[in-house]
Amino acid sequence: MNRLTEETWLGSPQPASRSKGNLNPLEGSDGSRAAGMGGSRAVVLLLFLMALFPIGSRAADVGNCLMCHKYPGLSLVAEDGALRLCYVNEENFNSSVHSKVTCQGCHTDVDKIPHDPAKKVDCLTQCHIDEPTTAKKFSHEHAERFLSQSVHSKYDPNGNLKEYAEDYPDCKGCHDNPLWRPMAFGTSQHAGMSESALGRCRVCHQSDEFIFRYYSHVTTRLHKIRNPKNIAEACGRCHNDPALVARHNLRTQAGISYNDSYHGKAASFLDERIPDCLDCHVRKGESVHQMLSRKNPRSITHADNKAQTCSSTDCHPNASAKLASYDVHAGFTLDKSPGQFYFTVFFIFLTGCTLLPLMAIIFLDLLRRLFPNLILRKRS
Amino acid sequence: MASHYKIKIKNGEKLFYRFSVSQRIQHIILAVTVVLLVLTGMPLRFHDASWAPFLYALFGGIACAPIVHRVAGSTLLLLFVYHLAYLAYHIIRDDVRPLKQRGELTAISLFKLLLTQPLVPNLKDARDILDLLKYLLFLTHERPQGAKWTWKEKFDYWAPFWGMLIIGTSGLILWNEGLSARLFTGQVINYALIAHSDEALLAGLFLFIWHWYNVHFSISVFPMGTAFINGYLSEELMIEEHYEYYVEVMTECGFSRDIKPPHGYHSDAKVMQGEGEAI
Repeated sequence: MNRLTEETWLGSPQPASRSKGNLNPLEGSDGSRAAGMGGSRAVVLLLFLMALFPIGSRAADVGNCLMCHKYPGLSLVAEDGALRLCYVNEENFNSSVHSKVTCQGCHTDVDKIPHDPAKKVDCLTQCHIDEPTTAKKFSHEHAERFLSQSVHSKYDPNGNLKEYAEDYPDCKGCHDNPLWRPMAFGTSQHAGMSESALGRCRVCHQSDEFIFRYYSHVTTRLHKIRNPKNIAEACGRCHNDPALVARHNLRTQAGISYNDSYHGKAASFLDERIPDCLDCHVRKGESVHQMLSRKNPRSITHADNKAQTCSSTDCHPNASAKLASYDVHAGFTLDKSPGQFYFTVFFIFLTGCTLLPLMAIIFLDLLRRLFPNLILRKRS
Repeated sequence: MASHYKIKIKNGEKLFYRFSVSQRIQHIILAVTVVLLVLTGMPLRFHDASWAPFLYALFGGIACAPIVHRVAGSTLLLLFVYHLAYLAYHIIRDDVRPLKQRGELTAISLFKLLLTQPLVPNLKDARDILDLLKYLLFLTHERPQGAKWTWKEKFDYWAPFWGMLIIGTSGLILWNEGLSARLFTGQVINYALIAHSDEALLAGLFLFIWHWYNVHFSISVFPMGTAFINGYLSEELMIEEHYEYYVEVMTECGFSRDIKPPHGYHSDAKVMQGEGEAI
């Protein structure tokens, strides 16, 4: 088994991320689930996915990797003891943003079958796709450059490695292989593909695969690529960790305090009209990788910019600057928000002092009715 | 003047008048809106609970349930305002005006008048609570002899009254977050959220534990007290909860010979007690 521990994945999330919860809502229907399913359910699932993405887009499996990786049970036990699935759900992969990239495009060191333990994927690899606007080989270097200027960079502005550098995220800390999330516009706007729009594409374009990819590429980015609940969970994987929060002297367990706010409550019911982490922490029009500390004057969460952020057209357009003093990440701890802490304690006491005596009376009343004629003191 | 009889005899049973039609309608509006508010509010408070999405989906999910909540909340607030007007109207018509006609209306007499309104807690209530505890702790066989409105009913009245002030105000603040931030500060919304959800939990628990025990689940009234529908209480329940008022009304209506003894004076209880003494 040891030979295989360096095995990496095709189109599936990192095992570590899997154990902490799925990032992508559609991801749940991939290998791990399908593996456990009976044949008929798997067929139903397949039909469902085919219905979702009616136009077959087939990436050419030039390396014939699916010869082995198409089997749902293909897995290994890694050195850390975690079970890793090496199964690649072809349907899911073909509906993902990387579907045009060949396996070897990312797993560059795999050059024969059966292969040696593969290295972890480096997202900065120049892949075999030309970026159409520049005709240059595509890579994720831009995202990396933005990330290195953000609060999440492993290096401080002077280029020195920060303390606890290993806590800072790399690409795969936040991302797995995202599925397309195309959008249809008709009488209403919803997830899916608009058949009438596809019909218009087909007037000129012959390749359904091209149409599907182009449509998805554009419309996936016209709305949130993950819903706010998923975003809060992704950020929460680090930002809810009390040890990490203490280590970096952060103000709050951000995902948890977000969940307790009205924004987070709505997010937990899959509302997408409300802001997720990215909406308030990244300036509109900028790459989400350019997230800045609230202490940075350029940040939109900086005290001077907060009011403008809250009162953006899509959010609270009529709000005054004072709305920004709303404590979005209020936590009920004595040291961080004493006023709200004592206010909460007051209500806890009020509830206890009201209900406990009344419940005691109910209990005694039931007991009294059970022994209607019992008496402890003789009547004089 | 009164459009009702204090005692109504139906199938040989005496029924005692409790609530007017207006009061009963007010109560039903209150009950329906509060249940709706709890059902559409608690899934938000406990949004991580497994049942929350299902209950929320029943009211149309995040796109619709908040609208149901606001409609119910607005209805309840309108009812509250109506009730205040109703209260003021009745106090002025029945108490203040006669006082004025007699020329005795002063600040002190008005204050005294307000303090002696039927649902204002008084010393008798404190005595009744102590007597109830004595009864519940098996120290006596005698239940407290309640007046027309007992401390339980006063509690049931003032708890939602206070609750509506707190929950209604904080609800309006949360609903109009832009305006409230302009009037106060953004922090007010933090406090309003705490007050709204914590006070709502208290109100909900109070209703479903205490109020429902007294009017639904208690052995005396199970499966359901009907005074909130037909406005009358049975003789049995009158004797158990409002003995003092029962004697008063019976005497007033000329039934003084039919007055039954209070509960707890059962002959078998005396026998049991006698046996206890004998042993």
